[in-house]
Amino acid sequence: MQAVERPKNAQPWTNLGPKVKLSSAITIIAPSVIYLAILLTTGMDFMAGLFTIFLPLQLLCGAWAGYYSYGKRGITDGLLLVVTFFLSLFVFVLLASVLWSVIESGFQALSPHFIYQNNVYVSGKTGLEIGGVGHAILGTALTVGISTLVTVPLGIATAVYLTETRDFGRGTVRTLLQAMSALPSVVSGLFIYSMLILSGWSGYSGLMGSLALIPLMLPTVSRVAEESLRLVPKDLRNGALALGAPSYRAFFMVTLPAAQSGIVTAVLLGIARVIGETAPILLTMTIANGTNLNPLQGGMATLPGYIFNYILLGDPTSIARAWGAALVLLIFVGILFAAARVASAPKKAKKRSAK
Amino acid sequence: MANFHLEAKDVNVWFGARHVLKNVNLQFPENQVTALIGPSGCGKSTFIRTLNRMHELIPGAGFAGEVLLDGKDIYGEAVDPVDVRIKIGMVFQKPNPFPTMSIKENVISGLKLSGISRPDAGDLVEQSLVRASMWNEVKDRLNDPAISLSGGQQQRLCIARSLAMDPDVLLMDEPCSALDPGSTRRIEETILELKESMTIVIVTHNMQQAQRISDRTAFFLAEDNTPGHVVEFGETQQIFYGPIDPRTNEYVNGRFG
Repeated sequence: MQAVERPKNAQPWTNLGPKVKLSSAITIIAPSVIYLAILLTTGMDFMAGLFTIFLPLQLLCGAWAGYYSYGKRGITDGLLLVVTFFLSLFVFVLLASVLWSVIESGFQALSPHFIYQNNVYVSGKTGLEIGGVGHAILGTALTVGISTLVTVPLGIATAVYLTETRDFGRGTVRTLLQAMSALPSVVSGLFIYSMLILSGWSGYSGLMGSLALIPLMLPTVSRVAEESLRLVPKDLRNGALALGAPSYRAFFMVTLPAAQSGIVTAVLLGIARVIGETAPILLTMTIANGTNLNPLQGGMATLPGYIFNYILLGDPTSIARAWGAALVLLIFVGILFAAARVASAPKKAKKRSAK
Repeated sequence: MANFHLEAKDVNVWFGARHVLKNVNLQFPENQVTALIGPSGCGKSTFIRTLNRMHELIPGAGFAGEVLLDGKDIYGEAVDPVDVRIKIGMVFQKPNPFPTMSIKENVISGLKLSGISRPDAGDLVEQSLVRASMWNEVKDRLNDPAISLSGGQQQRLCIARSLAMDPDVLLMDEPCSALDPGSTRRIEETILELKESMTIVIVTHNMQQAQRISDRTAFFLAEDNTPGHVVEFGETQQIFYGPIDPRTNEYVNGRFG
């Protein structure tokens, strides 16, 4: 058979035609140019003009381009396209600027010793060459770690209850979880503070911080785990039960492994949810300058606590330290989210074993 | 009356308040294939699920009647559904191998799932795959993931998985409806070999398939919102070539349903 060569344009659906190309180009360029000219001549406020002059201009242009290319039905298309692009870009710029300010301000504090040293030798006079967030990283790891150890079994158990049983209590549990996910974190901190610390049952300690984080983490973990368990086809579970499996074995050997990546995501998202929580930490833990590995006693620093503490001190070096800690925290959260993405990515079929 | 291997007596099924199966009486003799035919929604699949108590997993399900395996009611008070399902295996419409397990692990998954330990698990893998007539295709890649197999192979793997439990009865709910003609033929050949050692009940929408493989056929029907029931039950030859009930005649000749 004669081979058919792939033509240069094998994707005819991408041919937009000269009208669309021309009007799109005008829509992209014209409003920005006009707005820039107005800005330069009148010297008005950028943000004010963005919404009062640029956006209407851009919308007008989009509507015209739609009408010019496709007639009447193109108007809504053009308008929606402009609105979508404008808002997406707006949010993206906001996010990027937040990220950038953390990186820009935090970068000068960042150095190897900033990661592993603690703050014992830091005073008002020491510069950035001494001291770091090592103790705060350990503290965060400890408090969040304890919360995770408690929350993960509890959260997965809740998810199992919601997916595997048909008890009448499910609706109540689900509503409670939703309510919990809207719980302000300060309330959670206040609860532990008033119940366990004010009552004299315990002093300020890492453990109290962990306890305050649990109610914040639980809804995230159980909701995401529930979704991933729900995605496992019923057929698989039935297949296991039809082989004579008691339902607990069917769950542990078939349903849970099939939902594994989703469960991992649930755990990572739960950690990311609480790792930056400040309010509950401030109410339940005292901040220490030294390394403390005992969650039952004494003050313990955490990254959010460290940031809060140093930003309040107000001198340039302390503020730089706070930004540095924020950057470290941001990097940790970034790593967690990246890990969640990798864990939840569909698994590629394993390589076939050698024959 | 002859002793039947598996027997359904006055089986009635409800979903919530809806009566979906009414007074089904069927007998399944040993080493025979019994086909259940009938239009969609007539309760065949529901019925076959009552035979190994998979039916009770559906929320709101109700059941009345008896299902006797070797004369003992599987719905009896002290009977554990887990034991029932070990003796009465089931193959589903859609192939459902366990995606996280290899081919080999899938075959012996039933043992692990039901907590039975057998020292000869390795031999069992080969035995079961041979019985499901797919040993030669997969013997070199037993450790590959089960989902790397084609649809037809996956379904035969599911059959092998059931066979590894050495069931007395094998229930098949439209096992070929998702497969191509080639795979269907192979599964039919497997069924004919398997019936030497067990009792088989199969739900099928394929009239030719029922004629090719079954010894006896039951025709189910649910008319005008009435619960499904058995219209006619007898030797396959008789059902297809000399049906007594006119509705059976119309159905097997493709005039309705």
